[in-house]
Amino acid sequence: MTMDQTMATVSLRINDVEHAVPADGRTTLLEVLRETLGLTGAKRGCNQGVCGACTVLLDGRPVRGCLMLAAACAGHDITTIEGLAEGNDLTPVQEAFVEHGAVQCGFCTSGMVLTATALLKETPHPNVAAARAAMSGNLCRCSGYRKIIDAVVAAGGAR
Amino acid sequence: MTSFLEPRTVAEAVACLAHHPDARCLSGGATLVAMMNAGLADPPAIVSLQRIESLAGIAVGENGAATIGCMTRHRTTAAEARLVGSQEVVRLAAQRIATPPIRNMGTIGGSISFADPAADYPAALVAADAEIEVVGAAGTRRIAAQDFFVDWYTTALAAGEFVIGVRLPPAPRAAAVYDKLVKTEGDMGIATVAVVVAMDGGRCTDLRVAVGACGPRPVRLRDAEAALIGGPLDTQAVAELGRRLAEALDPVDDVRASSDYRRLVVPRMVGRAVAAARAKAEAAS
Repeated sequence: MTMDQTMATVSLRINDVEHAVPADGRTTLLEVLRETLGLTGAKRGCNQGVCGACTVLLDGRPVRGCLMLAAACAGHDITTIEGLAEGNDLTPVQEAFVEHGAVQCGFCTSGMVLTATALLKETPHPNVAAARAAMSGNLCRCSGYRKIIDAVVAAGGAR
Repeated sequence: MTSFLEPRTVAEAVACLAHHPDARCLSGGATLVAMMNAGLADPPAIVSLQRIESLAGIAVGENGAATIGCMTRHRTTAAEARLVGSQEVVRLAAQRIATPPIRNMGTIGGSISFADPAADYPAALVAADAEIEVVGAAGTRRIAAQDFFVDWYTTALAAGEFVIGVRLPPAPRAAAVYDKLVKTEGDMGIATVAVVVAMDGGRCTDLRVAVGACGPRPVRLRDAEAALIGGPLDTQAVAELGRRLAEALDPVDDVRASSDYRRLVVPRMVGRAVAAARAKAEAAS
């Protein structure tokens, strides 16, 4: 193997589309999404993995875009908020967020929606406790948690 | 410029670290990339371990010993039903690490190599009598967990070495409890207590109590534990163990709690955790 591999082209599969992007060894997935590809739905909040605003799905599970190095994402399936709706057809989670007014400033929303999407795939009918536990890694600084949890539970059809 | 290397074998990874003495190993990224983003780390080369298939997953041998590969995610360890008896303390600790997305990313090798004393694994591994398997140019060696955690953010790893796995010896009759005092779920602990207890006919046959997040490394007092072996593990005896542990701690004042507060709560946490573990052990026997 080569012992020095710096600026390289990384092949990333994002929302079912292959992208060949230049990335230094320390470039994060979030930087590639926002600055190279213009997919700005994932937000840069704390850049420390705490807030969840940069959440994307890696092979269907929520991870921190800010803590993933782009080079380490080759060979994995990445889903961003831009990859959920088909045209104007929102997903059930997105519909529920709209119906419940689970959006205030909106900065956390893409991360919230992606985390909820992954939850519903694994647990189709989460109750409030399961929704709260699953969403605990996504912070909303408007503190709009109640409507967010309501939306997640409603999207799963449980009460 | 940062090199990004993806060795396919352990031997290749060792060669990468020999070639780049200041390189850092990357497992899940939850720690290293956070440090890089904060400007606290800027390695000239990153050696990703994710393409080395042998390093991920949990294996249980015929004798009941479990080996957790360094690349095993917290999510996997948190759900591993084959970690039984004393080993369960590691599963319970994994369940309390940060939040679900971090458990999807973070690995046991990455977490313990960073050696944050307030993290969940250190005390649990010390209570489980775990051994840390490491590899370097001179080959592999095992280090007792108690000796692996040396100081604040400092391990016994030598230059060019990295963690390949964690070995948990079997103690199937023992019961485990892990308690973590937090301001809010998902935060680092104010104090953590990892307990392993075995009982036989009302007498204690195995007792291990490790306290974390209260100083540079987990604290465990083997002589004080030994004094309780053979006894009924009564409230008074356990209170004495808690008192001695609190004395042995070296806690700091930080954003989560004061040093005095930590010394105050640890004996109470020890009392409750040991009582719960004893009840669990007696229910199982």
